[in-house]
Amino acid sequence: MMLLKRLVLTAGLLAGLATAGPALAQPAKIGFIYPGPVGDTGWAFELDTGRKAVEEKFGDKVTTVVAENIPEGPDAARVMNQMAADGARMIMLGSFGYMNDGLKLARQYPDSAFIHASGYKLADNFGTFLSRNYETSYAAGLAAGYLTRSKVLGIVASYPIPEVIGMINGYTLGAQKTNPDVTVKVVWLNSWFDPNKSQEGARSLVAQNADIIFSLYQDTPEVVALSEELGIYSISTSSDMKAYAPKKYLAGLKVDWRPHFIDQVQKMLDGTFKGEAYWGGYKDGAIELTSLTPDLTPEQRKVVEDAITAMKAGTFHPMTGPITAQDGSVKIAAGETMADADLLAVNWLVKGVETKIPN
Amino acid sequence: MTATLIFILGGMLSAATPMLFAAMGEVVAERAGVLNLSVEGMMATGAATAFMAATLSGSHLVGFLAAGLAAAALSFIFAALVLGFVANQVAAGLAVGILGLGVSALIGKPFEGTTIAPLAKLDLFGLSLLPVIGPIVFGRDVMVYLGVAFVLAIAAVLGRTKLGLIIRAVGEAPGAARDIGYPVLRIRLACILFGGFMAGLGGAYLSIAYTALWAEGLVAGRGWIAVALVVFGTWMPLRIALGAYVFGAISLMELSLQSLGVQVPSQLLSASPYLITIVVLAAISRDATRIRLNRPLALGQAYRNDG
Amino acid sequence: MRSLRLEPRTEGAQGAAVAASVIAVFATLIAGAVLFSLVGRSLSAVLYSFFLQPFASWNGIGEILLKAGPLLLIAQGLAVGYRAQVWNIGAEGQLIVGAIAASVLAIGFDGAASPLLLPAMMLAGGFAGAAWAGIAALLRTRFNANEILTTFMLSSIALQLLYYLVSGPLRDPMGMNFPQSILFGDAALFGPLIAGTRANTSLLIGLAAAIIAWAFMERSIQGFRLVVGGLSPGAARYAGFSEARSVWIGLLVGGACAGLAGVGEVAGPLGMLQRNLSPGYGFAAIMVAFLGGLHPIGIVFAALLMALIYVGGDFALVSAGLPNATVTIFQGLLLIFYLASSILISYRVVIGARSVEVSA
Repeated sequence: MMLLKRLVLTAGLLAGLATAGPALAQPAKIGFIYPGPVGDTGWAFELDTGRKAVEEKFGDKVTTVVAENIPEGPDAARVMNQMAADGARMIMLGSFGYMNDGLKLARQYPDSAFIHASGYKLADNFGTFLSRNYETSYAAGLAAGYLTRSKVLGIVASYPIPEVIGMINGYTLGAQKTNPDVTVKVVWLNSWFDPNKSQEGARSLVAQNADIIFSLYQDTPEVVALSEELGIYSISTSSDMKAYAPKKYLAGLKVDWRPHFIDQVQKMLDGTFKGEAYWGGYKDGAIELTSLTPDLTPEQRKVVEDAITAMKAGTFHPMTGPITAQDGSVKIAAGETMADADLLAVNWLVKGVETKIPN
Repeated sequence: MTATLIFILGGMLSAATPMLFAAMGEVVAERAGVLNLSVEGMMATGAATAFMAATLSGSHLVGFLAAGLAAAALSFIFAALVLGFVANQVAAGLAVGILGLGVSALIGKPFEGTTIAPLAKLDLFGLSLLPVIGPIVFGRDVMVYLGVAFVLAIAAVLGRTKLGLIIRAVGEAPGAARDIGYPVLRIRLACILFGGFMAGLGGAYLSIAYTALWAEGLVAGRGWIAVALVVFGTWMPLRIALGAYVFGAISLMELSLQSLGVQVPSQLLSASPYLITIVVLAAISRDATRIRLNRPLALGQAYRNDG
Repeated sequence: MRSLRLEPRTEGAQGAAVAASVIAVFATLIAGAVLFSLVGRSLSAVLYSFFLQPFASWNGIGEILLKAGPLLLIAQGLAVGYRAQVWNIGAEGQLIVGAIAASVLAIGFDGAASPLLLPAMMLAGGFAGAAWAGIAALLRTRFNANEILTTFMLSSIALQLLYYLVSGPLRDPMGMNFPQSILFGDAALFGPLIAGTRANTSLLIGLAAAIIAWAFMERSIQGFRLVVGGLSPGAARYAGFSEARSVWIGLLVGGACAGLAGVGEVAGPLGMLQRNLSPGYGFAAIMVAFLGGLHPIGIVFAALLMALIYVGGDFALVSAGLPNATVTIFQGLLLIFYLASSILISYRVVIGARSVEVSA
């Protein structure tokens, strides 16, 4: 065994790759793992934008390592283990499905920091980050309510997890605010990424009269491009996708991880990192409604902008009662707002959404 | 309701087209006695190549041709293994299929997640304005109709021409075919290359016409469905085409039922093409005379000229 | 090309089998070198992180063993059938069904501390995998349906069954609707093989399978049956062995091994049932079976080599920035070169006169 190890180390030296033991002067290595390829737009692209901001901000104090397109399966653990074994002092886990393996690893490496996208488990060195997309969804819903002719809104959605359900609810409530008769239809794809099926889902919604399609957590722009071709409005998640629909694009629900990533890296460098549940909304500058369509009248536009201003100021919460669920029960009484804990675990759709949560 | 019907029936023509092209190529190879399981990888390579070629040249035609040639080149590796090196067809197909998936990811990398203008829709004499039938049958892109033309042509060639007879002879009894003077290996090579070319076209249809986007994993099992379709259609082009349209309609129905609010486990619908194919396979294989009529007897068996 | 020709070998050639593997590995390395230079990476850096770095730490070695476990187990099972010309290509589905059956027990008896839970899960998984493959055996023996096609289609059905179960009946009720089960308790998990790594004791099943397969093939009459049935169905029938029995044994053994490998995954690195159960182990194991020359001992080496390619690929991804597509290409190339060079095993290259020509 020793011989083999020595052989390996020698070979490493020959290859010019041998790494010296971790010294303080060395830049801190930070690993980033994305579930999909980075591409030009979408979820992984925005995470990578956050990574680039970290590199820019901290310069030679950090180096970053990227592993993209890592499925949420048994192999993800190896990639993150390898990063940790390679001396990464911080690892960003870019998908829900990395949660359990990430937690295990965090226990093994108590001195490394971990931040995990959209999970719900925390540890001292393991934090989570999530964005309050229900806020931008609500704002987009206000605009959709004004612009729909058929009063049918279509959503192509990934998994029925609370974050997605919250976004559907926010969007529906916003649309109902400006157009009380609106109904919402959903196609569940059970995938973050399935370009053919997401387009077919969008077409099936259009066949049922939907004239605005919300591409909810589909990481590629095919639904937006298709909507442009069909001459209907679309809304995208994570990134602004107006470039794919220059004529008819309702708005983008953009997330911005840069402030949070920079903050977390700073804390890691200072030695003050502590796993926290970050839930960035308008107040935190983590989300933004981009490229809002010019087709709204100035009055309509003002309604949307006022709602955004109120959310930024913290004076308005989209989940303010009375809110009735699909089955007719009143979930939030008039004047009350939904608590964060409930919103993080929401498992019911509001009245007006016609599709049920599967199973 | 009518709109949903139009969506399913019209959509299935487009949804089935990638599988249809690939299955038409595969049936020719299988009729010549070669089971090529690399269809998925060949389609992926075709899809990535088409996207790259069409983006760089600005021409969809160039994209389709490049895709066909790239996938045919892959199928040549397969042919070299099974014909030249007398390798096991199952193993060779899997090996080349995996190579194809890797190649597609590598060459498609710079284009990941980007879109392209889809292939133009044809609208002959405004026929697509006809009520109901118009939007279903007309106003589709040229490849949908070309796919139908290929089905008819291949059915005619396999069923009614001397060439078809030779191909079938090579797939049924290669030894006897050689004895009466047919170049068995060359015929098999041609059929494999044709299969590759068609799989490439099928993949290209996905990336530059149907979805009009490249992303790794775009083919998503359609190559395997094409292999299943050949069995489902009992090696008969017309039945394979019928199967492709039925499978296409099922996949769209799954989405329509959801948005209509009907509660059916979508997984049952996704699995149904395979369930149906197994039932069909059991039914046709049971009857010895019918199987002799259709299934190439030497399918999957290695063959050497001295054999 | 008249002077170079091939003659079928009349006796086995162990030396040729080894030579074929060595040629394949070297040809793959050369092709890989060309590939790396095309994607603009330093060859030495890539080769180091691909083939040596995994051995530089216990973690890396553990990962190779972890990955080799299911490949070894499944490939041993498949090879039993392949030697008898029974082409089961649906191990992926048999693995899934095995994993599901074991998970039902782990979820149903959540919190149980009984040492019998894990053995029961193994039993259930093995049986379920065998039963899934048994459908194909039944279809082949009763309806004459080609098992290449049925095992493959049963695989696709198993995948949909898994999707259905993890997004409904077996979903973690407290799991925020995400399609995965609860985390299994310790009694439902394999223990670690090397402390501090993910390698677990399920690897021993694969090694046991290798020994049993070897013993059967070399010593027992049942193995003889499968060998005879495979090489020459006519001779097998003459010796009184039925083809149907070969089909049943080949598929049931293959299915049981794949099912057990599924248990190894859910009760090992995953610790739960989820959608991404297997990164294509069922298909990779087919390659392993062939790379190992369908020989129990050869398969052990092939499984380790394939595991090294996977693990080395991830190392190269993290350390050398190699795109993960190159791993897939590497696997494909290795098998292609092996299949090409294994012509040496069944044929002898003869330089001289006489007629037989190898034409393409």
